[in-house]
Amino acid sequence: MGLVARQIERAGIPTVTLNMLWEFQRAVGMPRVAAIAHPFGRPFGEVNDAATQRAVLRASLAVFETAEVAGHVEHLNFVWHEEPRETRWHPLQPAPIIAHMKAHGLLG
Amino acid sequence: MTQQQVDAFRFTGKFIKKIISEAIERAPAPAEIPWTPVTLPLAEARVALLTTAGISMHGDPPFDMAGERNNPTWGDPSWRRIHRDADSTAVAVNHLHIDTRYIERDINVALPLRRLEELVAEGVVGAAAATHYSIMGFQGADSSTLENVSGPEIAAAMRRDGVDLALLVPV
Repeated sequence: MGLVARQIERAGIPTVTLNMLWEFQRAVGMPRVAAIAHPFGRPFGEVNDAATQRAVLRASLAVFETAEVAGHVEHLNFVWHEEPRETRWHPLQPAPIIAHMKAHGLLG
Repeated sequence: MTQQQVDAFRFTGKFIKKIISEAIERAPAPAEIPWTPVTLPLAEARVALLTTAGISMHGDPPFDMAGERNNPTWGDPSWRRIHRDADSTAVAVNHLHIDTRYIERDINVALPLRRLEELVAEGVVGAAAATHYSIMGFQGADSSTLENVSGPEIAAAMRRDGVDLALLVPV
């Protein structure tokens, strides 16, 4: 997604990328990043939790107003309601690339 | 006030953390970061959302999961428009790297169309774009089509739609 952010920004439209894996910033160079520690698949919050979804959206959009230099990372202060070990986000079946790596002994 | 830094790997588990950390360290640093200044207040801006969740409107072709199952190092690089009135009943969600059932119950967890309309109604945001956008984030060994074909096509579509600001959200 960082690559697409760069293309849209180059085309003249400012972007913010809301990102769990914000450390990709070092490799990709996104114009503006809002970093958040939410589980994969639910970046804005839990199902039917409109208040959190709205707060995350508002905080992400605020980065358009506050970021002043290319590559700015804003760390959003949202705390997910479950501990990571209790949080289910993985697909029901392992992703094909994971199954492929296991079959070829590439998973240590 | 000092911001507390977000732990990017809070939910990944050790294995995915290792793969991603190594990929980040291997990658060359980007030469420059593009920058378009924000020239109008949020309250006057037309905002579009772009998700990587592999969402498609019913009636449009779904993202190609069979292709990825057949070739695990390939991911569908195409893109779709999502109408701003869409809800979970109007879309298919195809992404083999996350549990898509949350988005299927409430699209707003990944593509907060209703929340954006609420911010527009409150006057916080000027307008929502007529359509929003989805790609499918997993690109496997080659992200060049996403970067060099779909990215510019989405950017051109946003410009035609009069989009002022784009919020991009990987899942």
